[in-house]
Amino acid sequence: MLEIRGLKKTIGGAEILKGVDLTVEKGDVLAVLGPSGGGKTTLLRCLNYLERADAGTMTFLGQQMDMPTVSRKDVAAYRRHTAFVFQSFNLFANKTALQNVTEGLIVARKMPKADAESRALAALERVGLADKRDSYPSQLSGGQQQRVAIARAVAGEPDVIFFDEPTSALDPELIGGVLDVIRSLAEDGMTMIVVTHEVRFARNVSTKVLFMEEGRALAFGPAGPFFEEQKLERIQTFFRSLDRKDE
Amino acid sequence: MSERVIDILISSFPRILGQGLLVTIPLTVISFALAMVVAVICAMIQIADVKGLKQIVRFYIWIIRGTPLLVQLYLVYFGLPDLGLVLPAFPCAVAVFALNEGAYCAETVRAAIESVPKGQMEAGYCVGLSYIQIMRRIVLPQAFRTAFPPLSNSLISMVKDTSLAANITVTEMFMTTQRVAGRTYEHLALYAEVALIYLLFCTVITWLQRLGEKKLNAMNGGNVIRA
Repeated sequence: MLEIRGLKKTIGGAEILKGVDLTVEKGDVLAVLGPSGGGKTTLLRCLNYLERADAGTMTFLGQQMDMPTVSRKDVAAYRRHTAFVFQSFNLFANKTALQNVTEGLIVARKMPKADAESRALAALERVGLADKRDSYPSQLSGGQQQRVAIARAVAGEPDVIFFDEPTSALDPELIGGVLDVIRSLAEDGMTMIVVTHEVRFARNVSTKVLFMEEGRALAFGPAGPFFEEQKLERIQTFFRSLDRKDE
Repeated sequence: MSERVIDILISSFPRILGQGLLVTIPLTVISFALAMVVAVICAMIQIADVKGLKQIVRFYIWIIRGTPLLVQLYLVYFGLPDLGLVLPAFPCAVAVFALNEGAYCAETVRAAIESVPKGQMEAGYCVGLSYIQIMRRIVLPQAFRTAFPPLSNSLISMVKDTSLAANITVTEMFMTTQRVAGRTYEHLALYAEVALIYLLFCTVITWLQRLGEKKLNAMNGGNVIRA
């Protein structure tokens, strides 16, 4: 469904992505793992054109795009099929939870207000926050804000959702609730690409794994073999260092 | 205080206040409204980095902020007629006040827009909004909350600055007082009186500011907008 070939990106003279390939099929949950500074977030931002790639082709739902030169109009059309969940939530601070979800539906997709609201309420219901519909982001905890952000992503009925370290900015006790929501989306067959440091979560939920280091894909493939039969010494070391952190 | 002074104060009060309500306040309100339009346009041009226009805006702000308001009033009212451009005093004052305040407020508005976290813009793009839609619906309302106190400051300054228009023959509150003082020689009492009326106007604005802030806070769900 989504295929990337030869994605490169240089920022401020430093080559952050040195030619990344990946393929995601419908229903896949791709976990993007790896050490900090490996290019995971930049990769995700390039996938939704928040950053312009310097090279690379994208094939999405059968349509091929040259990533550096694709027109603004095509990007806008592509974004109507995708959604993005940020590390720092980025809820619209001047809108209530409900308005955060309906904003894109009403303004960008021209949906009638009543339809948008009933769809938004269903999305808030799904993340367990229907009772917070009239709360502003500043009145919600980080975990609640992130769940509203997920409701906002889901409400657009995207073909794929990108998650950029969705739990990294959260207090430890709030992480579980957000991961539960993402897990339930996976169970419903939602296609997702998740940049995360939560290896246990990735192991339980993902169908594919991309391990990034120094701008390259050190490993890319089905999750089962990646976790169970990992042969690469570098990745084993990475897991061990995480285990130590947990203790 | 002699009975005569008290009589002068009482008889001049409605006249001075009336001129304040009929000239000073309209001059302030019209000029400030136009200044806001100028400020938002200039701020947007700078933020959107419109080539050419941005340089013009920077030049305009440089000139206005680098020269005295009184000199600007003289240049336009007494100077432009030399070029064949004669404007009546009131519109002339409105134009100068609007352009002057617009330059200062452009910087306030620009800073306020830049203080809105970049993530708001990115989130807007990701739900499919266009640049203009994000600006209008997400960024500017938040920037307005930030800009509101400094803009209220500017408005309060402007109420008092309009007294400079007396120099170009606008018969506002201050000039009216000058005339009464010139006739009666009661300078201390009369200028204290007009000062009190300015103070009254500014107190009302301060009170309106507090009310406005409360309302804006309610619209953003709390005192502080968190990033």
